[in-house]
Amino acid sequence: MTNRSFALLALALLCAPAALRAQDARLDARLDAHTRDAVVSLIDSARAEGIPSEPLVQKALEGASKHADGPRILTAVRMLARELGDARSALGSSSTDAEVIAGASALHSGIAPAALSRMRATRTHGSLAVALAVLSDLIARGVPGDTATTVISALTGAGAQDAELLKFQQGVERDIAQGATPSAALGVRAQSAFPSAAPRRTP
Amino acid sequence: MRQHDDLDAMDQGDEVLERVVEELRRPLRVNAALFDARVMDEVLRPPSGLRARIASLTQPRTFRVSPLVALAAGLLFAVTAVGSVLYVLPSTPHAAPRVAARSAINSPIVQFGFAAPHASSVALVGDFNNWDPKATPLRAASTGGVWSVEVPIQPGRHLYAFVVDGTVWRPDPAAPKASGEDFGEPNSALTVADPGMR
Repeated sequence: MTNRSFALLALALLCAPAALRAQDARLDARLDAHTRDAVVSLIDSARAEGIPSEPLVQKALEGASKHADGPRILTAVRMLARELGDARSALGSSSTDAEVIAGASALHSGIAPAALSRMRATRTHGSLAVALAVLSDLIARGVPGDTATTVISALTGAGAQDAELLKFQQGVERDIAQGATPSAALGVRAQSAFPSAAPRRTP
Repeated sequence: MRQHDDLDAMDQGDEVLERVVEELRRPLRVNAALFDARVMDEVLRPPSGLRARIASLTQPRTFRVSPLVALAAGLLFAVTAVGSVLYVLPSTPHAAPRVAARSAINSPIVQFGFAAPHASSVALVGDFNNWDPKATPLRAASTGGVWSVEVPIQPGRHLYAFVVDGTVWRPDPAAPKASGEDFGEPNSALTVADPGMR
Protein backbone atom coordinates (compact mmCIF):
# COMPACT_ATOMS: atom_id res chain seq x y z
CA MET A 1 0.00 0.00 0.00
CA THR A 2 1.46 3.32 -1.02
CA ASN A 3 1.56 6.29 1.30
CA ARG A 4 -1.14 8.00 -0.76
CA SER A 5 -3.48 5.01 -0.56
CA PHE A 6 -2.90 4.73 3.16
CA ALA A 7 -3.70 8.41 3.61
CA LEU A 8 -6.95 8.06 1.63
CA LEU A 9 -7.98 4.99 3.61
CA ALA A 10 -7.28 6.77 6.88
CA LEU A 11 -9.27 9.79 5.74
CA ALA A 12 -12.19 7.59 4.74
CA LEU A 13 -12.17 5.82 8.10
CA LEU A 14 -12.15 9.15 9.88
CA CYS A 15 -14.89 10.66 7.77
CA ALA A 16 -17.29 7.70 7.67
CA PRO A 17 -18.51 7.81 11.29
CA ALA A 18 -18.86 11.58 11.11
CA ALA A 19 -20.95 11.30 7.95
CA LEU A 20 -23.09 8.64 9.60
CA ARG A 21 -23.67 10.82 12.64
CA ALA A 22 -24.56 13.87 10.55
CA GLN A 23 -26.90 11.82 8.41
CA ASP A 24 -28.94 10.58 11.35
CA ALA A 25 -28.83 13.51 13.73
CA ARG A 26 -32.57 13.14 14.36
CA LEU A 27 -32.07 9.56 15.47
CA ASP A 28 -29.08 10.48 17.62
CA ALA A 29 -31.19 12.82 19.67
CA ARG A 30 -34.11 10.47 20.24
CA LEU A 31 -32.80 6.88 20.39
CA ASP A 32 -30.35 5.10 22.63
CA ALA A 33 -27.07 4.13 21.00
CA HIS A 34 -27.88 0.45 20.54
CA THR A 35 -31.31 1.07 18.99
CA ARG A 36 -29.97 3.88 16.83
CA ASP A 37 -27.19 1.69 15.40
CA ALA A 38 -29.63 -1.11 14.63
CA VAL A 39 -32.09 1.29 12.97
CA VAL A 40 -29.31 2.89 10.93
CA SER A 41 -28.26 -0.56 9.77
CA LEU A 42 -31.82 -1.32 8.62
CA ILE A 43 -32.04 2.04 6.87
CA ASP A 44 -28.75 1.48 5.07
CA SER A 45 -29.92 -1.92 3.87
CA ALA A 46 -33.21 -0.46 2.65
CA ARG A 47 -31.48 2.36 0.86
CA ALA A 48 -29.17 -0.09 -0.87
CA GLU A 49 -32.25 -1.90 -2.21
CA GLY A 50 -33.79 1.30 -3.52
CA ILE A 51 -36.41 1.44 -0.78
CA PRO A 52 -37.35 4.91 0.52
CA SER A 53 -35.65 5.44 3.87
CA GLU A 54 -37.50 8.45 5.26
CA PRO A 55 -40.54 6.38 6.36
CA LEU A 56 -38.17 4.18 8.37
CA VAL A 57 -36.65 7.20 10.10
CA GLN A 58 -40.13 8.51 10.85
CA LYS A 59 -41.25 5.15 12.22
CA ALA A 60 -38.30 5.11 14.61
CA LEU A 61 -39.00 8.70 15.69
CA GLU A 62 -42.68 7.87 16.21
CA GLY A 63 -41.68 5.02 18.50
CA ALA A 64 -39.29 7.27 20.40
CA SER A 65 -41.96 9.93 20.88
CA LYS A 66 -44.37 7.30 22.14
CA HIS A 67 -41.73 6.05 24.59
CA ALA A 68 -41.55 2.57 23.02
CA ASP A 69 -38.58 0.47 24.02
CA GLY A 70 -35.75 -0.32 21.64
CA PRO A 71 -36.80 -3.85 20.61
CA ARG A 72 -40.32 -2.67 19.82
CA ILE A 73 -39.00 0.17 17.68
CA LEU A 74 -36.72 -2.22 15.83
CA THR A 75 -39.59 -4.64 15.19
CA ALA A 76 -41.77 -1.86 13.77
CA VAL A 77 -38.99 -0.48 11.57
CA ARG A 78 -38.08 -3.95 10.33
CA MET A 79 -41.72 -4.72 9.48
CA LEU A 80 -42.12 -1.45 7.62
CA ALA A 81 -38.91 -2.08 5.67
CA ARG A 82 -40.27 -5.44 4.62
CA GLU A 83 -43.60 -3.95 3.57
CA LEU A 84 -41.86 -1.21 1.59
CA GLY A 85 -39.77 -3.85 -0.16
CA ASP A 86 -42.84 -5.96 -0.93
CA ALA A 87 -44.65 -2.90 -2.25
CA ARG A 88 -41.72 -2.02 -4.47
CA SER A 89 -41.69 -5.54 -5.88
CA ALA A 90 -45.45 -5.59 -6.44
CA LEU A 91 -45.63 -2.15 -8.06
CA GLY A 92 -42.51 -2.50 -10.16
CA SER A 93 -39.07 -0.98 -10.09
CA SER A 94 -40.24 2.16 -11.86
CA SER A 95 -42.71 3.03 -9.11
CA THR A 96 -42.15 6.27 -7.25
CA ASP A 97 -41.35 6.59 -3.56
CA ALA A 98 -44.84 7.99 -2.90
CA GLU A 99 -46.38 4.93 -4.57
CA VAL A 100 -44.17 2.56 -2.61
CA ILE A 101 -45.05 4.27 0.68
CA ALA A 102 -48.77 4.19 -0.08
CA GLY A 103 -48.42 0.59 -1.28
CA ALA A 104 -46.79 -0.37 2.03
CA SER A 105 -49.75 1.17 3.86
CA ALA A 106 -52.11 -0.91 1.76
CA LEU A 107 -50.14 -4.06 2.53
CA HIS A 108 -50.21 -3.14 6.21
CA SER A 109 -54.01 -2.92 5.88
CA GLY A 110 -54.13 -6.50 4.69
CA ILE A 111 -54.12 -6.09 0.92
CA ALA A 112 -52.23 -8.84 -0.92
CA PRO A 113 -49.19 -7.89 -3.03
CA ALA A 114 -50.91 -9.41 -6.08
CA ALA A 115 -53.74 -6.89 -5.69
CA LEU A 116 -51.20 -4.06 -5.87
CA SER A 117 -49.81 -5.52 -9.07
CA ARG A 118 -53.31 -5.69 -10.56
CA MET A 119 -53.92 -2.05 -9.64
CA ARG A 120 -50.63 -1.13 -11.25
CA ALA A 121 -51.88 -2.75 -14.42
CA THR A 122 -55.00 -0.57 -14.40
CA ARG A 123 -52.93 2.60 -14.38
CA THR A 124 -49.70 2.28 -16.28
CA HIS A 125 -49.36 6.05 -16.68
CA GLY A 126 -49.65 8.36 -13.72
CA SER A 127 -49.24 7.84 -10.01
CA LEU A 128 -51.09 5.24 -7.99
CA ALA A 129 -50.12 6.89 -4.70
CA VAL A 130 -53.46 8.56 -3.97
CA ALA A 131 -55.44 5.54 -5.15
CA LEU A 132 -53.49 3.28 -2.80
CA ALA A 133 -53.85 5.78 0.06
CA VAL A 134 -57.61 5.96 -0.51
CA LEU A 135 -57.71 2.17 -0.53
CA SER A 136 -55.95 2.01 2.85
CA ASP A 137 -58.19 4.68 4.35
CA LEU A 138 -61.38 2.96 3.19
CA ILE A 139 -60.22 -0.30 4.76
CA ALA A 140 -59.44 1.62 7.94
CA ARG A 141 -63.05 2.87 7.88
CA GLY A 142 -64.32 -0.70 7.85
CA VAL A 143 -64.78 -1.45 4.14
CA PRO A 144 -63.79 -5.07 3.41
CA GLY A 145 -60.42 -5.23 1.66
CA ASP A 146 -61.60 -7.22 -1.35
CA THR A 147 -64.53 -4.90 -2.01
CA ALA A 148 -62.43 -1.78 -1.61
CA THR A 149 -59.75 -3.15 -3.93
CA THR A 150 -62.32 -4.03 -6.59
CA VAL A 151 -63.95 -0.59 -6.51
CA ILE A 152 -60.75 1.46 -6.40
CA SER A 153 -59.23 -0.62 -9.18
CA ALA A 154 -62.35 -0.07 -11.25
CA LEU A 155 -62.28 3.67 -10.59
CA THR A 156 -58.61 4.03 -11.52
CA GLY A 157 -59.18 1.88 -14.56
CA ALA A 158 -62.05 4.16 -15.57
CA GLY A 159 -59.69 7.13 -15.43
CA ALA A 160 -60.64 8.70 -12.10
CA GLN A 161 -58.38 11.59 -11.15
CA ASP A 162 -56.73 11.89 -7.75
CA ALA A 163 -59.05 14.71 -6.69
CA GLU A 164 -62.04 12.60 -7.71
CA LEU A 165 -60.77 9.65 -5.72
CA LEU A 166 -60.35 11.83 -2.63
CA LYS A 167 -63.83 13.27 -3.12
CA PHE A 168 -65.15 9.73 -3.50
CA GLN A 169 -63.48 8.72 -0.25
CA GLN A 170 -64.93 11.72 1.57
CA GLY A 171 -68.40 10.82 0.33
CA VAL A 172 -68.07 7.26 1.57
CA GLU A 173 -66.83 8.48 4.95
CA ARG A 174 -69.71 10.92 5.21
CA ASP A 175 -72.24 8.16 4.47
CA ILE A 176 -70.63 5.90 7.06
CA ALA A 177 -70.72 8.70 9.60
CA GLN A 178 -74.44 9.10 8.91
CA GLY A 179 -75.12 5.45 9.61
CA ALA A 180 -74.56 3.52 6.38
CA THR A 181 -72.62 0.29 6.52
CA PRO A 182 -69.14 0.65 5.00
CA SER A 183 -69.89 -1.78 2.17
CA ALA A 184 -73.20 -0.14 1.30
CA ALA A 185 -71.67 3.33 1.38
CA LEU A 186 -68.90 2.23 -0.95
CA GLY A 187 -71.30 0.57 -3.39
CA VAL A 188 -73.73 3.48 -3.51
CA ARG A 189 -70.96 6.05 -4.02
CA ALA A 190 -69.31 3.93 -6.71
CA GLN A 191 -72.64 3.52 -8.54
CA SER A 192 -73.27 7.23 -8.28
CA ALA A 193 -69.84 8.46 -9.36
CA PHE A 194 -68.93 5.87 -11.94
CA PRO A 195 -71.88 3.69 -12.92
CA SER A 196 -69.75 1.46 -15.07
CA ALA A 197 -67.22 0.94 -12.29
CA ALA A 198 -69.61 -0.10 -9.53
CA PRO A 199 -69.45 -3.76 -8.49
CA ARG A 200 -72.24 -5.82 -10.01
CA ARG A 201 -74.53 -7.71 -7.77
CA THR A 202 -75.05 -11.33 -8.52
CA PRO A 203 -78.70 -12.34 -8.56
CA MET B 1 -62.55 -0.45 135.88
CA ARG B 2 -60.93 -0.03 132.60
CA GLN B 3 -61.57 -3.68 131.75
CA HIS B 4 -65.30 -3.20 132.53
CA ASP B 5 -65.51 -0.24 130.12
CA ASP B 6 -63.94 -2.31 127.34
CA LEU B 7 -66.59 -5.05 127.80
CA ASP B 8 -69.39 -2.45 127.48
CA ALA B 9 -67.92 -1.10 124.22
CA MET B 10 -67.74 -4.62 122.72
CA ASP B 11 -71.42 -5.21 123.55
CA GLN B 12 -72.41 -1.97 121.82
CA GLY B 13 -70.37 -2.91 118.69
CA ASP B 14 -72.08 -6.30 118.50
CA GLU B 15 -75.47 -4.60 118.55
CA VAL B 16 -74.54 -2.32 115.66
CA LEU B 17 -73.23 -5.25 113.63
CA GLU B 18 -76.40 -7.25 114.24
CA ARG B 19 -78.53 -4.31 113.02
CA VAL B 20 -76.47 -3.99 109.85
CA VAL B 21 -76.74 -7.72 109.07
CA GLU B 22 -80.43 -7.63 109.70
CA GLU B 23 -80.82 -4.71 107.28
CA LEU B 24 -78.87 -6.55 104.56
CA ARG B 25 -80.92 -9.72 104.99
CA ARG B 26 -84.16 -7.83 104.44
CA PRO B 27 -85.54 -8.64 100.87
CA LEU B 28 -85.09 -5.77 98.39
CA ARG B 29 -88.23 -4.30 96.88
CA VAL B 30 -87.68 -3.03 93.34
CA ASN B 31 -90.13 -1.27 91.07
CA ALA B 32 -89.41 -3.21 87.82
CA ALA B 33 -90.82 -0.59 85.41
CA LEU B 34 -88.94 2.24 87.09
CA PHE B 35 -85.72 0.20 87.13
CA ASP B 36 -85.88 -0.56 83.35
CA ALA B 37 -86.53 3.06 82.53
CA ARG B 38 -83.52 4.22 84.52
CA VAL B 39 -81.24 1.59 82.89
CA MET B 40 -82.31 2.59 79.37
CA ASP B 41 -81.76 6.25 80.18
CA GLU B 42 -78.17 5.45 81.09
CA VAL B 43 -77.64 3.34 77.95
CA LEU B 44 -79.04 5.96 75.57
CA ARG B 45 -77.37 8.94 77.19
CA PRO B 46 -74.91 10.36 74.52
CA PRO B 47 -71.23 10.33 75.41
CA SER B 48 -69.55 13.63 76.08
CA GLY B 49 -66.24 15.27 75.10
CA LEU B 50 -63.80 13.90 72.45
CA ARG B 51 -65.39 10.47 72.65
CA ALA B 52 -68.69 12.04 71.72
CA ARG B 53 -67.21 13.75 68.62
CA ILE B 54 -65.54 10.54 67.38
CA ALA B 55 -68.74 8.60 67.94
CA SER B 56 -70.73 11.14 65.95
CA LEU B 57 -68.40 10.67 62.96
CA THR B 58 -68.40 6.89 62.99
CA GLN B 59 -72.03 6.10 63.70
CA PRO B 60 -74.26 5.48 60.68
CA ARG B 61 -77.08 7.94 60.14
CA THR B 62 -80.29 7.90 58.26
CA PHE B 63 -81.16 10.83 56.02
CA ARG B 64 -84.48 11.69 54.60
CA VAL B 65 -84.21 13.10 51.05
CA SER B 66 -87.05 14.12 48.81
CA PRO B 67 -87.19 12.59 45.29
CA LEU B 68 -86.51 16.01 43.76
CA VAL B 69 -83.31 16.50 45.77
CA ALA B 70 -82.20 12.95 44.92
CA LEU B 71 -82.75 13.64 41.19
CA ALA B 72 -80.74 16.86 41.41
CA ALA B 73 -77.89 15.08 43.19
CA GLY B 74 -77.88 12.35 40.52
CA LEU B 75 -77.74 14.91 37.73
CA LEU B 76 -74.89 16.74 39.45
CA PHE B 77 -72.96 13.48 39.76
CA ALA B 78 -73.58 12.61 36.10
CA VAL B 79 -72.47 16.04 34.88
CA THR B 80 -69.30 15.84 36.98
CA ALA B 81 -68.50 12.34 35.73
CA VAL B 82 -69.09 13.20 32.06
CA GLY B 83 -67.05 16.37 32.46
CA SER B 84 -64.14 14.40 33.85
CA VAL B 85 -64.26 11.96 30.95
CA LEU B 86 -64.46 14.78 28.41
CA TYR B 87 -61.36 16.33 29.90
CA VAL B 88 -59.40 13.18 29.08
CA LEU B 89 -61.26 12.33 25.87
CA PRO B 90 -61.69 15.53 23.92
CA SER B 91 -64.82 15.83 21.86
CA THR B 92 -64.81 15.62 18.10
CA PRO B 93 -63.05 18.36 16.22
CA HIS B 94 -64.96 20.86 14.17
CA ALA B 95 -63.81 19.38 10.87
CA ALA B 96 -61.48 16.94 9.21
CA PRO B 97 -58.13 18.30 8.03
CA ARG B 98 -58.52 20.25 4.82
CA VAL B 99 -56.25 22.00 2.39
CA ALA B 100 -56.57 25.71 3.13
CA ALA B 101 -54.03 27.20 0.71
CA ARG B 102 -50.66 26.62 -0.88
CA SER B 103 -47.36 27.61 0.66
CA ALA B 104 -44.51 29.43 -1.06
CA ILE B 105 -42.87 26.08 -1.82
CA ASN B 106 -46.18 24.92 -3.35
CA SER B 107 -46.91 22.47 -0.55
CA PRO B 108 -50.58 22.46 0.30
CA ILE B 109 -51.31 24.17 3.61
CA VAL B 110 -53.51 21.85 5.63
CA GLN B 111 -55.72 23.11 8.43
CA PHE B 112 -56.05 20.84 11.45
CA GLY B 113 -58.64 21.28 14.16
CA PHE B 114 -59.23 19.57 17.46
CA ALA B 115 -61.78 20.22 20.19
CA ALA B 116 -60.42 20.00 23.73
CA PRO B 117 -62.26 22.51 25.91
CA HIS B 118 -60.42 21.66 29.10
CA ALA B 119 -56.91 21.16 27.73
CA SER B 120 -54.07 23.50 28.55
CA SER B 121 -52.12 22.62 25.40
CA VAL B 122 -52.59 20.65 22.18
CA ALA B 123 -49.80 19.76 19.74
CA LEU B 124 -49.81 18.19 16.29
CA VAL B 125 -47.35 15.34 15.72
CA GLY B 126 -46.81 13.32 12.59
CA ASP B 127 -44.40 12.07 9.98
CA PHE B 128 -44.17 15.64 8.63
CA ASN B 129 -42.62 17.09 11.81
CA ASN B 130 -40.53 14.17 13.07
CA TRP B 131 -43.24 13.29 15.62
CA ASP B 132 -41.97 16.12 17.78
CA PRO B 133 -44.61 17.31 20.30
CA LYS B 134 -42.86 20.67 20.58
CA ALA B 135 -42.73 21.36 16.86
CA THR B 136 -46.33 22.28 16.01
CA PRO B 137 -48.48 23.61 18.86
CA LEU B 138 -52.13 24.36 18.13
CA ARG B 139 -53.74 27.69 19.04
CA ALA B 140 -56.94 27.80 21.05
CA ALA B 141 -59.88 29.74 19.72
CA SER B 142 -61.22 32.44 22.02
CA THR B 143 -64.39 30.43 22.59
CA GLY B 144 -65.57 26.87 22.15
CA GLY B 145 -62.39 25.08 23.13
CA VAL B 146 -61.39 24.36 19.53
CA TRP B 147 -57.68 24.27 18.80
CA SER B 148 -56.31 24.71 15.29
CA VAL B 149 -53.17 25.12 13.24
CA GLU B 150 -52.24 25.38 9.57
CA VAL B 151 -49.22 23.45 8.33
CA PRO B 152 -47.64 23.09 4.89
CA ILE B 153 -47.54 19.38 4.08
CA GLN B 154 -46.00 17.60 1.14
CA PRO B 155 -48.36 15.62 -1.10
CA GLY B 156 -48.69 11.98 -0.11
CA ARG B 157 -50.12 9.87 2.66
CA HIS B 158 -49.23 10.93 6.17
CA LEU B 159 -49.81 9.66 9.68
CA TYR B 160 -50.46 12.02 12.55
CA ALA B 161 -52.01 12.46 15.98
CA PHE B 162 -52.62 15.09 18.63
CA VAL B 163 -50.87 15.32 21.99
CA VAL B 164 -53.08 16.85 24.67
CA ASP B 165 -51.46 18.45 27.71
CA GLY B 166 -48.10 17.04 26.67
CA THR B 167 -48.88 13.45 27.55
CA VAL B 168 -52.19 12.19 26.17
CA TRP B 169 -52.07 10.96 22.56
CA ARG B 170 -55.30 11.13 20.60
CA PRO B 171 -56.12 10.32 16.97
CA ASP B 172 -58.18 12.79 14.98
CA PRO B 173 -61.82 11.68 15.34
CA ALA B 174 -62.66 13.33 12.03
CA ALA B 175 -60.06 11.44 9.99
CA PRO B 176 -59.53 7.79 9.08
CA LYS B 177 -57.67 5.83 11.69
CA ALA B 178 -54.49 4.32 10.31
CA SER B 179 -54.39 0.56 10.40
CA GLY B 180 -51.98 -1.01 12.82
CA GLU B 181 -50.81 0.41 16.10
CA ASP B 182 -47.13 -0.36 16.27
CA PHE B 183 -46.64 1.51 19.51
CA GLY B 184 -50.00 1.20 21.21
CA GLU B 185 -51.28 4.66 20.31
CA PRO B 186 -53.51 4.92 17.24
CA ASN B 187 -52.72 7.39 14.46
CA SER B 188 -54.89 9.15 11.94
CA ALA B 189 -54.24 9.11 8.20
CA LEU B 190 -54.17 12.09 5.88
CA THR B 191 -53.82 11.97 2.11
CA VAL B 192 -52.72 15.16 0.39
CA ALA B 193 -53.10 15.19 -3.36
CA ASP B 194 -50.43 16.59 -5.62
CA PRO B 195 -52.12 19.08 -7.94
CA GLY B 196 -49.47 18.50 -10.57
CA MET B 197 -50.19 14.79 -10.94
CA ARG B 198 -53.15 12.80 -12.07
